Amino acid sequence: MQREVGSLPLAPGLRARLAAAGFQTAQELLETGPCGLSKEIGISKEEALEALQLVRQECHGDAARTAGGSGTTRKFTALELLEEEQAQGFIITFCSALDNMLGGGVQLTKITEICGAPGVGKTQLCMQLAVDVQIPECFGGVAGEAVFIDTEGSFMVDRVVDIAAACVHHCQLIAEAQQEEDHLKALETFSLESILSHIYYFRCRDYIELLAQVYLLPEFLSEHSKVRLVVIDGIAFPFRHDFEDLSLRTRLLNGLAQQLIIIANDHKAAVVLTNQMTTRIGQSQSTLVPALGESWGHAATVRLIFHWDNSQRLATLYKSPSQKEATIPYHITPHGFRDVQPPAVTPNAEGTEMNPRKRPRREEEKQ
Amino acid sequence: MAAKKLRRAQLSQELCERLNRCQITTCKDFLCLSLLELMKVTGQSYYEVQKLLCKVSRACAPTMQTAYEMKLRKSVNPSSAFLSTTLYCLDRVLHGGVPCGSLTEITSPPGCGKTQFCIMLSVLATLPVSMGGLDGSVIYIDTESAFSAERLIEIAGNKFPAFFDSDEKLFCMTRNIHLYRELTCCSVLKRIMSLEEEIISKKVKLIIIDSVASVVRKEFDTKLQGNLAERSNFLTRGASMLKYLAEEFSIPVILTNQITTSLSNGPAIQADLVSPADDLSLSE
Repeated sequence: MQREVGSLPLAPGLRARLAAAGFQTAQELLETGPCGLSKEIGISKEEALEALQLVRQECHGDAARTAGGSGTTRKFTALELLEEEQAQGFIITFCSALDNMLGGGVQLTKITEICGAPGVGKTQLCMQLAVDVQIPECFGGVAGEAVFIDTEGSFMVDRVVDIAAACVHHCQLIAEAQQEEDHLKALETFSLESILSHIYYFRCRDYIELLAQVYLLPEFLSEHSKVRLVVIDGIAFPFRHDFEDLSLRTRLLNGLAQQLIIIANDHKAAVVLTNQMTTRIGQSQSTLVPALGESWGHAATVRLIFHWDNSQRLATLYKSPSQKEATIPYHITPHGFRDVQPPAVTPNAEGTEMNPRKRPRREEEKQ
Repeated sequence: MAAKKLRRAQLSQELCERLNRCQITTCKDFLCLSLLELMKVTGQSYYEVQKLLCKVSRACAPTMQTAYEMKLRKSVNPSSAFLSTTLYCLDRVLHGGVPCGSLTEITSPPGCGKTQFCIMLSVLATLPVSMGGLDGSVIYIDTESAFSAERLIEIAGNKFPAFFDSDEKLFCMTRNIHLYRELTCCSVLKRIMSLEEEIISKKVKLIIIDSVASVVRKEFDTKLQGNLAERSNFLTRGASMLKYLAEEFSIPVILTNQITTSLSNGPAIQADLVSPADDLSLSE
């Protein structure tokens, strides 16, 4: 109630008038009432009423927050966070080496950035993740839907069909091996059509469309509450040309990063971005570094760099808060993103393979 | 989309006038401002400004389609998804031919046959659909003055003697191939930007640019300061326009590139032009 007038989200003109009239706290405003307010400041009664309703809403929100209810700021103890993290799912990538390196797969509520030269497999991994996020829970997935924002036009539906067919086949093998009731039931709804229908595709042609789409994402995610993955394929492409004002670019990118973090947290979704590589020309040599500059490096929580070594594709974990740096090889097969030496495909091994990759969920903890 | 005037984003008249006074007329200007700046220029409260932001975003944002809808649309007309090159092995490797709706790059050392391939594809594109063509016109942007009309007729006459049995048919085919000789980067870019209307009026089904590398290497010496940034600027603008045209009209776009030597001990790599991986980041 002792909130200062200057901190209320009123229109700036109104705030200036209130300050000129000598109002200091929200309590004073509420005590004056709409008629008194309109006479003192010289605004209409309706405007005064609107302003007071806004103030009341804000103070109510404040009170709820200090009482420890859910609001925009939440307090947790580390133990609560630990339990929440352990219960959270990961989105597997079907490449066990990559999943192990990431600590189970692509983590929900975090931003993962994939950097690499053209042709190394970034879009392939994004398409693989868009399919893998939909794997039902009984097979070790998060049973979510995916939003795919494409800025470069590299999304190929036929390729997604191939990847999805391989994934469904993989799950069918497990179901046959383990013969459990819920596996077979899940398989009924986990088909090619349902996978494709739950990938929501947006094609953004320039950075304004990308910004507009990210502003509209929270609304979209509230309507489609099962979305657990947001992929932005090519965050660098629209920002790398036609930008004379680099400070504007940095500001827009920072705003974008903040909104994505909010989206990832509020909707418990994983955000995956792909970035291009650029050459940094040093004193004696030039190195390939991720594009968009140093300030963008802070946006992502986890950073993966894909590169070539002769003809072998490698993935390096460049930045991660919980896993150590490592480099692993991977393959792109007709079925999608895979390990270099796929483990023996025996029915029994399939079942145990999928589960140990992620930390056990609360319900499945062995006593 | 970005240059869309705020008037058409369904904002109220007085709000548009107020924003006009601050030089904010397009959606682009509006979305580039932060929330606090927007509050200042519109004079509205925080929550109102957020609603305005959503309104303007809705005017600019792309429409959603599910992957399933995309697949259905493709499977409705599978034959129109590729332009067959009539080389059986190449078609097999490309899963049908040169794909429609995306950019294809052809690269080689000089003398291997890029221009010949492009000329042959232009003939193929003018053929009717029953013969594996696209039944449309071709826009051929030639930067090296390597296009030869006589060679075009020779290829057509020898490859499809049954179809091109009269001079009349040959002239009809040549009338469908529109050649533009552009010798500078600027004119190439201008030509690409003006293609949209030509595609609709001339019923174009194939765009060929032969070659991108020659104009760029002529004008941009990458050892000079600032040229690298300008070069990639030019290339990405051209590339995004071409991608838009390819996707919008579902036509194939073919670009040719040259080979350059990378001065390490590896083999010669292609001039990395249409996908500029190098860009100076020092200016950040």
